[in-house]
Amino acid sequence: MAMNSTPDAIFWYGCNMTRHGEVIRASARILEAVGVAAAPRGGPAACCGSPKDANARINGGMARRTVQAFNGSGAAAVITWCPSCHMNMQDSMAPVTPTNFETQHITEALWARRAVLAPLLTQAVPARVLVHGHLGFQGRVPINDLVPALLRLIPGVTVLDHPYRAPGHMCSALAGVPGALADCHRALLAVAEENRLDTLVTIFHSCHREAVALERHGLRVMNWIHLLAAAMGLPAEDAYKTWRNAQDARAAIGDERLTQAGETAFARLVEPELGQPPVV
Amino acid sequence: MTLADRIRDEGARLAAACTACGACVRACPMTAYVPAAMADISLTAFGMRDLLTGGVGNAPGLAWVAVCARSGVCSDACPEHLDAAFLLRLAQMRAKGALDEAPRIPVKEDTGFSARVKAFARLTLTEGEQAEWL
Repeated sequence: MAMNSTPDAIFWYGCNMTRHGEVIRASARILEAVGVAAAPRGGPAACCGSPKDANARINGGMARRTVQAFNGSGAAAVITWCPSCHMNMQDSMAPVTPTNFETQHITEALWARRAVLAPLLTQAVPARVLVHGHLGFQGRVPINDLVPALLRLIPGVTVLDHPYRAPGHMCSALAGVPGALADCHRALLAVAEENRLDTLVTIFHSCHREAVALERHGLRVMNWIHLLAAAMGLPAEDAYKTWRNAQDARAAIGDERLTQAGETAFARLVEPELGQPPVV
Repeated sequence: MTLADRIRDEGARLAAACTACGACVRACPMTAYVPAAMADISLTAFGMRDLLTGGVGNAPGLAWVAVCARSGVCSDACPEHLDAAFLLRLAQMRAKGALDEAPRIPVKEDTGFSARVKAFARLTLTEGEQAEWL
């Protein structure tokens, strides 16, 4: 969906979601199916500025450019994915550069349209799941309630109510603190084992990219959008998970895609991440 | 208004309302990774508050601010009903040197961030999607 026509909304997927193109694609299709024509926008050109937290001038410039682009699109709403983007929009972007759109998280947009969504979830997805919640962001958007509620609309899905919440707002915030992410993953594995669950469901992208390595412990890892897509019969193959857990990431990706990425960029920027050892 | 103005103005407002009682420190789950922050929670809170107005902070305050992961439970714990999570975020930005001050905590900036995001986009998005969505 191009920005040269006025969309109902922008689906602001953030930056690091480009690892999970199928989640962006499926999210946009699910939104469209419930009546929201949302144009995906993200990447460095639509950044909230937080990667440059150490420099307010650069951070603020990136944020202002993003708000101005969204204002110029004519969209009445910006539907967010990333909790950092969402909070930064509320805390520092909109107060600095006035917006002419409302901001809503994708879980809120889908839950508000659950009467339309539920009949579309026709495919059973047998799974006993633990939703990987964090303490943060819940105060802004009741994400730890909305995701399980959406999953319970899917035939075959059983969601465990469990009080474990990881610190932080998503796993990228824990990754820089020695021991924190490993503690989180050990806790998730323990809860899954104690309750004989077969699937860990991530909410956010940064959690997903870290958690997919837990499949090496025999626990299936899916994002909540993967489950909704499966229930709707939409394709959403988790390529990142395959690459991250492959013995040979290059072979798993294939020559055609490697050529698209560019050998130098792949070797310098992608391959080291895919080859990282799991934290537990 | 600029982001720098926002950081400076909101930091001053919140610092003026914060009593440095330490309730936010006590509630924080990340103190498990910085035991020094718990030795004297008021001192830790004082150091964090000092950063908001351009002060140098103190060792436990800086250590605590550095591990803030935006859990947000500090806001629920604040007896002054401040948005303590935002307050911590502002303190962390000041400690990183966001207002052209010397950084007081390590800044882990990923210089390959934009290029990495685009490299993954080339792997997972079609050319058409890249043209429209990035």
